[in-house]
Order: sequence, then C-alpha cells, then structure tokens
Amino acid sequence: MTGNPNGPVLSIRNVRRSFGTHAALDGVSLDVEQGEVVAVIGPSGSGKSTLVRCVHQLEPIDSGAMYLDGELLGYEHHAGRLRPLPARRVADQRRRMGMVFQQFQLFGHWTVLRNITEAQVRVHGRSREQARERAMELLGKVGLAEKADAHPGQLSGGQQQRVAIARALATRPRIMLLDEPTSALDPELVDEVLTVIRDLAAAGMTMIIVTHEIAFAREVADRYVFMDRGRVVEQGPVAGVLGDGTSDRLRAFLSRYTQQLSDSGEARTSV
Amino acid sequence: MTATTTAAAPDVDVATARPRPRPLRWLGGAVLAVVAAQIAWFLTHNDRLEWPVVAEYLFDANVLAGLATSIGLTVAAMVAGSALGVLLATGQLAAFAPVRWACTLYVGVFRGIPPLVQLLFWFNLAYLLPRLSIGIPFGPTFESWSTNDVVTPLTAALVGLTLHESAYMAEIVRAGILSVAAGQRDAAMAMGFTGGQAFVRVVLPQAMRVIIPPTGSQFISLLKGTSLVSVIAMTDLLHAVQSVYNQTYQIVPLLIVACFWYLVVVTALSFGQQRLERRFGRGQRSATGRWPA
Repeated sequence: MTGNPNGPVLSIRNVRRSFGTHAALDGVSLDVEQGEVVAVIGPSGSGKSTLVRCVHQLEPIDSGAMYLDGELLGYEHHAGRLRPLPARRVADQRRRMGMVFQQFQLFGHWTVLRNITEAQVRVHGRSREQARERAMELLGKVGLAEKADAHPGQLSGGQQQRVAIARALATRPRIMLLDEPTSALDPELVDEVLTVIRDLAAAGMTMIIVTHEIAFAREVADRYVFMDRGRVVEQGPVAGVLGDGTSDRLRAFLSRYTQQLSDSGEARTSV
Repeated sequence: MTATTTAAAPDVDVATARPRPRPLRWLGGAVLAVVAAQIAWFLTHNDRLEWPVVAEYLFDANVLAGLATSIGLTVAAMVAGSALGVLLATGQLAAFAPVRWACTLYVGVFRGIPPLVQLLFWFNLAYLLPRLSIGIPFGPTFESWSTNDVVTPLTAALVGLTLHESAYMAEIVRAGILSVAAGQRDAAMAMGFTGGQAFVRVVLPQAMRVIIPPTGSQFISLLKGTSLVSVIAMTDLLHAVQSVYNQTYQIVPLLIVACFWYLVVVTALSFGQQRLERRFGRGQRSATGRWPA
C-alpha cells in the first residue's frame, strides 16, 4: 500500500470541508516531505485546526483526497468506486499519525504512565513491559520520568502537554500533528513545551504545527503555510516570511501579531 | 452601628473578636429539641406501636425470606436495567437516526408509565398474547409456550422493574457520557482506539463520577419500588408482613418491621455509594457541598 518511498509523507489534495454554508477548508492542497516541519499560521477561524483534525480523520472531508505515505486516507477502491474504510482500518491509519491537542486531552482516570502505555498494549499488541519501557524512555525525553505514577490532574499545564506529546509519540508515528500545542498554557509554561518540540524537530520528526508562536515557527519550522478563510494564501520557506513576495494579508496578520506582543511586553517577540 | 475606623489603634487584632449573637439559631435549635422530645415521647409511650410484637416478627423466617426476595429482585432488576440503560444511552447518542429515535421512544414510554401499571400489565400479558413463540417474523415458528406458564409473578416483576429501571438508567448514563469532554473521545480515537474501545476504556470510566450519585438514588427507589410487586402476589418483604397482619390484625407493628428492614438496606446502600463515589472521584477535586455560615 505504500507509494513512492521518495514521495511526500503527507499529501493533501484540494480538500474541502464545510459546516453548513461556511467553508472551513476551501480547497486546501499541501505536501509534507519526510523530516520537514511545516508551521501553519493564520487568524482564528482560518481553518488551521480543521485542517489537522481532517488529516487525522477526526472530521470527515467533503471533497478532495489525502494520502499518508501514498496510501489514501479513509477510503478504499471497491468495484471501481471509492467507499469509506471500516472503522478498524481508519484506526490503523490514525495511529500512524501522532496528534497533540490544544487542551492536552490526557485521560484523567489513568496515571501518566498508563496514558502512554494503554494504546500500545490495546492497539499495537505490545506487552506491558515493552510498552512501559517505551513510555519511560519517552517520559525521560520530555523530562517527566519522575511523574510516571502521577495523575494528570496533579500536573501543571506545561507538564500535561509534554506528557501528551510523549503519548502521541508512543506508537512511533510517521508524522506529528500539533494543534496549537501552547495556546492553552500560561506564558511561563510555554517554553518547556516548545523545547520538547524543538528537540523533536532536531531529531528529524516530520511535523505539522498549528501555532500562534510566530517567533518559534521561524526558528523551528522549515516552511510556513499561511491560511485565511479556509485557503492557503501563501507558503514558503520560513526565511521568506515577511520577505519579498509576502501578501498583504500575511503582512497585516504579522504586524497585528507583533503589535499585540509588544503591547503586552512579551519577551518572546525578539526573533 | 459604630465603625472602628481609626488607623491609630495598634492593639486591634481580629483574633480577639467574639462571635456575633445569633438569636434565630438559638430559637431554631430550641424548636428542633422540642420536636425531637415529642417524637421520642410518642415512640416510647404509645402502646399501639406494640414494640414487643415488632421484636417478635423482626427476625421471623417469612419476613426474612421476603426481605431476601426484595433484595434479590432489586439487584437483578438493577443489574439488567443498568446494562440495558447503557445500551439505550449509547443508542440515544448514536449517529444512525432510526436507532436514536427507537431508543428515545423506548425511554419516553417506559419512563412515562407508572411501575405499578407496568407490573399489572406484564402480569396480564396472557390476555394480549396467549402464546409466546420464537420464529421468523410473519414466518414459521420454531418453539412456543403458553404465556401463562412463562409469566409468573417473578418474571412479571423482573420484566416490569427492569424495563422501568432501564429507562431511568438510560437518562443517567446519557448525562454522564455528555459530561465527558468530546475532546477525550477525539484523543482516544487519535491514538488508534476504535469507537467502542474509546467508549468503554476512556469515556465510560470518566462518566462514572457523574453516573454514580443518581444511580445510588435509583437503587434506593428501586428497592422501595419492589414493594409494588405485592399486588401481583409476589412474596416480597411487604407481602410477607401483610400475610402476617391479615391474620393477626397487628397492622402497625408489622409495618414497622417492614420500615425497619427497608431503612437498614437503604442505609447500607448509601454507605456503599459513598465508597464508590470516592473510588471513581480519584484525581478529581470537588466542593464539599456545605454552605458557608
């Protein structure tokens, strides 16, 4: 089922998704290459989160197609036509992608360790020991090995999000989708999460990061995608953000953003 | 009212303050004390309560057998009703509209008919359907039984109470499911769990915190509801004491026997509920539920 090994890890082709008459995604196309980090930026309601939710098949798309390693996501060819995949196959595709949510979404009734091991055991069929070993390795990476037996409610927001990243990594995903991973955090907790994401990028993980942290996006991403009203308005290497050929809409968005940050006296404005 | 406004009073310390007088509390306390004394007097000095008779029948074999029947019926109807209720709750939240309609209609009907009416109805099922059979709808029949053989007081009571209970449990479980953030289901699905796994392993355990308190009340009201089965001649606790006082005419003391046992079981259930709430409340902080003075 895998396509060209040199092809993109993720390929999004002319995807549309509407809520009633409102087009959340209005013909979005995007390729993400192996090891590439793509930062998706844009104003609220521009369709950024809908895009990653659709890729992860948490929401259906109305038209277009998406491919993971050349494999069509969510549908199969049958008798010359397309039909939706059965739920189990969709679940198989999902665990090849790691998802990190804005609101962490750790499972409150389980310990940190069980949050990370459960999917490995139930879905991957790994033994408890193997899953535990992998979980402890990942918790070490995000600097929370000593919190393995804590419940999520006992952790700070930044710690919860680091656990959520470890959880998403547990099934060795081909690509990580991060949906505004720092937007729900107090300002002083943002950096610890960004550090973890920076390490992931340095280790060569393929990622799509939906973010408002423009400075961080410039530092860690290879490419930016600017979305507005459900469309990709422009994209390019991060070095080119605010450079020549930048659209008026992106320039307006970025200037409003820098304005806000300098108003609030944020330290992270410096690029 | 004199206000202490001076800033030049170095010896002011609120720790030395005395409580304000609260005359209404004293009055309320006095009224409660008088009422309590009256009740105690009534219970000890009214000969018609016939405490010796109460003592005589409290551990009577027939009474205890009736109590066992009541408890057994409660547990059986609760277990079956809860299982059915979970199915109905998920059905009410199903994406497939006909299932949603069917489950909503079921809950509406069985929650809306008084349990006493349902018990009488099921007990008289034979009038409507003389024979019960298994077969292909509108096609051949494989096996059939006379309804009167199948519907005994026990089966009528079980069916009636279970259906009634399942409708209430469906609403309780549905509220519990809705109390768990939708993002939790998304996160479970994102990790590769199927919808069923996400429901059983992630959503339902977290819904328990909301489901348990009203379920405890349901359990209690079901236990009391079993007293209705005495009308279809099932020998529950109430029926057992009725059989005695129909012969001895010691109505009040025997009703006290029944009250005693109902209260004992309900109290035990309440303690069980507290323990369950503590177990499923792990990792959650909640208000103590006491109003400030």
